[in-house]
Amino acid sequence: MSKVGRIFFPANSRHGLWTIPLLVAICCCVGLAISTADFVSRQNVLNLFAQAAPLILVSIGQMIVILVKGLDLSVGSVVSLTTGILSLNAPFYVTVPAAMLNAAVVGLLNGVAVTRFRVHPIIATLSIMGITQGAAMFVRPSAGGTVASEIVALVSGELFGIYMPVIWTIAAILVGWKIVHGSRFGLHLFAIGGGETAATFGIAEQRNEVAAYVLSSCFAAAAGIFLAGRIASGDPNIGTQYAVDSITAVALGGTQLAGGIGSLHGTLIGCGLLALIANGMNLLNVSAFVQTIVKGAILLLVIALQPRKNIGL
Amino acid sequence: MTIEPLVRMTSISKSFGGIAALENVDFQLLPGTVHALMGENGAGKSTLMKILAGVVQPDDGMIRKAGRTVQFASPREALNAGISTVFQEHSLLANLSIAENMYLGKEPLTVLGSVDVARMERNARETLRGLGLNLDPATLVGNLTIAERQFVEIARGISANADVIILDEPSAALNAADVEILNAQILSLKQQDKAVVYISHRMEEIFKICDTITVLKDGRNVDTVPVATIAPKRLIAMMVGRELAELFPPKPARTESEIVLSIEGLRLTPDSPPCSIHLRRGEIVALAGLEGQGQRELVRSLVGQHAAHEGRVRIGSRELALPLPEDHGIRMLQALGVGFVPEDRKLEGLFLDLSLAHNLTIGLHSRHFELTPAGSDRDVIANSIRNLSIKAATPSTPVGTLSGGNQQKVLLGRYLALGADILLIEEPTRGVDVGAKAEIYKLLRAYTNAGGAAIVLSRETLELIGLCDRLYVIHDKHVVAEMPAGQATEHAILEAALHR
Repeated sequence: MSKVGRIFFPANSRHGLWTIPLLVAICCCVGLAISTADFVSRQNVLNLFAQAAPLILVSIGQMIVILVKGLDLSVGSVVSLTTGILSLNAPFYVTVPAAMLNAAVVGLLNGVAVTRFRVHPIIATLSIMGITQGAAMFVRPSAGGTVASEIVALVSGELFGIYMPVIWTIAAILVGWKIVHGSRFGLHLFAIGGGETAATFGIAEQRNEVAAYVLSSCFAAAAGIFLAGRIASGDPNIGTQYAVDSITAVALGGTQLAGGIGSLHGTLIGCGLLALIANGMNLLNVSAFVQTIVKGAILLLVIALQPRKNIGL
Repeated sequence: MTIEPLVRMTSISKSFGGIAALENVDFQLLPGTVHALMGENGAGKSTLMKILAGVVQPDDGMIRKAGRTVQFASPREALNAGISTVFQEHSLLANLSIAENMYLGKEPLTVLGSVDVARMERNARETLRGLGLNLDPATLVGNLTIAERQFVEIARGISANADVIILDEPSAALNAADVEILNAQILSLKQQDKAVVYISHRMEEIFKICDTITVLKDGRNVDTVPVATIAPKRLIAMMVGRELAELFPPKPARTESEIVLSIEGLRLTPDSPPCSIHLRRGEIVALAGLEGQGQRELVRSLVGQHAAHEGRVRIGSRELALPLPEDHGIRMLQALGVGFVPEDRKLEGLFLDLSLAHNLTIGLHSRHFELTPAGSDRDVIANSIRNLSIKAATPSTPVGTLSGGNQQKVLLGRYLALGADILLIEEPTRGVDVGAKAEIYKLLRAYTNAGGAAIVLSRETLELIGLCDRLYVIHDKHVVAEMPAGQATEHAILEAALHR
């Protein structure tokens, strides 16, 4: 294969095909910059970050689960429930730990259902999604309430001259990188996703899988905190789109849904591309319904176009 | 003076679902020895070693390691106690690099808590060098050949720095030259006063490198003897419990019957010279040679599983041009009465979760239109089980639970039930014990005597010489010699392969 070919189809990598979405993203940027006047405006770029930050948080968690052959459909309901908890009339040092604890419990339930009771990840997380969504409706039946001002301050405005959503994004990337590509735990995630034999290497598969689901829920809760701060209130439906969007972003970034192949940078590119597409369609005044259709089509297309034949899996 | 054994396993018993796999088995390992563990498949060798490696826990019995009683709840604990295992199954993870596979579960860390990739790869490179391998440790295992993977697996076992190393069929996927390297490595472990347990079906290697042999049969000890005091024939008798009159069935006198399959002008790659091969009715023809010289590609190109550069195949009166389409090459050939028996019966050949009966008749079903009601083919199943003497509780037993020999028979039975005129067989007896080998040879001979014909390829040259009527020696993607089996020796084949 030519040198260029090897960059696009890396045979010696478990990072998946992330170069193609990167190219597409760059093309989108160039195209939008040329066709719309507003795309390169400061306000729009900041909007892009604000749109992408929660998606990046949820998608990093989603990717961790997908690496171990799982899938987490409950992330969206965790986002909603978190905004609900944060909008309760209590100080932030009560609501934030409560929200994180709640997320950890949801993740634990997901993980135990999948590993201990061998429920298929889609079914397990779908059931837990129903329960969590119900709880979100119970806590806050309709959008409203007020979120502690500290949290609002944490997501809007600037710190040292840097826009807060940018800081959130960078923090998410650093934490995600450390977990996925900079730790034994990360390597073990790939090992578990790569085959049936990880246990013979002395890896505790079940414990690591449960940890993956817990992390996924906690990342979703972090996205919920961010969103609650943005809208300064709670909304039981704000997370609805995140399950599908995060799976799309992860798949778009070259992570294989069958596990064992994927990368953080791929997922970031996937999130960026998805946010770009949404942003671009907004700028081009495409109806929100059409946007949903487009996203669904992208998910199907991306997964259909990723054969699992790379590196002999 | 007696040497204190490194490992002493006493009256080990283990049963799975009421069936005893091991009963009161004793096993002792002395430092500085290579100890062969022999027995037919299902004799309990693997179970015994899995117990020692902590994969399986015994129901009863005691293990002492260096004088202390131990109990291993997991492979990790056994490894920590200095017992390292190279398993028979290919257990490496394709999406991790060589180094990551070798150090998985015991990765060195940097001060920041990340995996120390540089150190890991440096150590891995050294270990691989020791095995005579010049592989980049950063290469993903998915990109390696089977033999390379096997070496990495061995390197992993050795790099664990254990004093007991269990090698479960390490040479099954290796060719002669690689086996030499492996043997040298085993001898060097022995000189370091480590104990090596060696499980293999290959007699020659056992007699070349082992010091002691323990034979198991049906989950019980038969005997433990020094290698020097026993003859191969006697050893086989101990394993099967009877003298094997003859491993290979007699070959009928050759007559010039008609050619049922011929390949003309075959070029596997654009650079290789054209070659031709023919197969007569009643004949078993072997493709011999060093491993990876194109035997496999040649057979696979006949069924479209490998894209040959060009060539023509004549089967009966039909002529086909190579390469055949990958997606329905096998069906095309099946329609012409040619069955393809792949090497990897677990991945490519059998549906492990389906019953024995389903696996036997699935070939018959594949000939019918999809909506035709499936008959039960009860007589076909009963006949196959009887004729092939497949040992299984009932025809509905999942094929994955059978022993290797029985699985191989089921796979063969599928094509025999189809009434295939020609069989293309890769590795007819891979991972199959001696008793079942003899039965499979007999089956194949009976099949050709009844008017069938077969092309066989195998890593075991002795098997090809003993089983086949005629051999083609393949080297560098083309045929370099043809010889009748009567004149073929291992030496002659190697000569033909190398001195051209």
